[in-house]
Amino acid sequence: MFWTNLLKPRITASAHCDLPCGVYDPEQARIEAESCYKIIEKYNASNDEQFKTRAIVIKEERAELAKHHIDVLWSDYFKPEHVQKYPEITELCWKAAKQCSKVKGSLDLGDARTLLDMIDKIADVWTKAGGPQATRVQKAAAARA
Amino acid sequence: MEPALSAGDWIVVSELSRPPRVGEIVLVRDPRDPENLMLKRVTAVYDGRCTVLGDRPEESTDSRTFGPVPVQNVVARALFRYAPIGRIGWLW
Repeated sequence: MFWTNLLKPRITASAHCDLPCGVYDPEQARIEAESCYKIIEKYNASNDEQFKTRAIVIKEERAELAKHHIDVLWSDYFKPEHVQKYPEITELCWKAAKQCSKVKGSLDLGDARTLLDMIDKIADVWTKAGGPQATRVQKAAAARA
Repeated sequence: MEPALSAGDWIVVSELSRPPRVGEIVLVRDPRDPENLMLKRVTAVYDGRCTVLGDRPEESTDSRTFGPVPVQNVVARALFRYAPIGRIGWLW
């Protein structure tokens, strides 16, 4: 046995974790939630069983993505100083993530609407906390027009 | 944790029987995933909780992301780096 094997550490610890890109926007979650809303509309309007099956599968995927984006905002974007200033954000993110799970299993348009409203409330806090300026790359003036 | 620690460093840690102190590099359990052990520097200790930060704030996931950590999550203190040979030395 080489001496290096004897000295090799028994446990590994991480010291640098990840490199966050720093771009966060509740719009990502909203677009996925809008997909859920529209899919439920299309499901209810259809008589095609195959289409309806596909709609359910895709809605579940979209709801899971919305949940992921909310989790990322909560765990990576919102910092302790934001929570101190806007204490409601903890409950907003928690309830919105739970609502995603509800939408995942639901064909009720009202549930999808509730999720959109919850994401909009998170977006209000994100905007108040300076999110648009702090996290997004600004568009050129010509592209905005 | 650059420049104090680099990826691949082999270090010796010592279990802590007292609360961690500000400035120490500690082995701490990630409050979001207790299986994940991290090395961070203690920047504040109060009310049974401690704030741990990476030395490079712009690239570190630390208490600014997951909040203060219960002192029970602090497993050990970093003492000594024994490899690579060119970087052998105390960590306190």
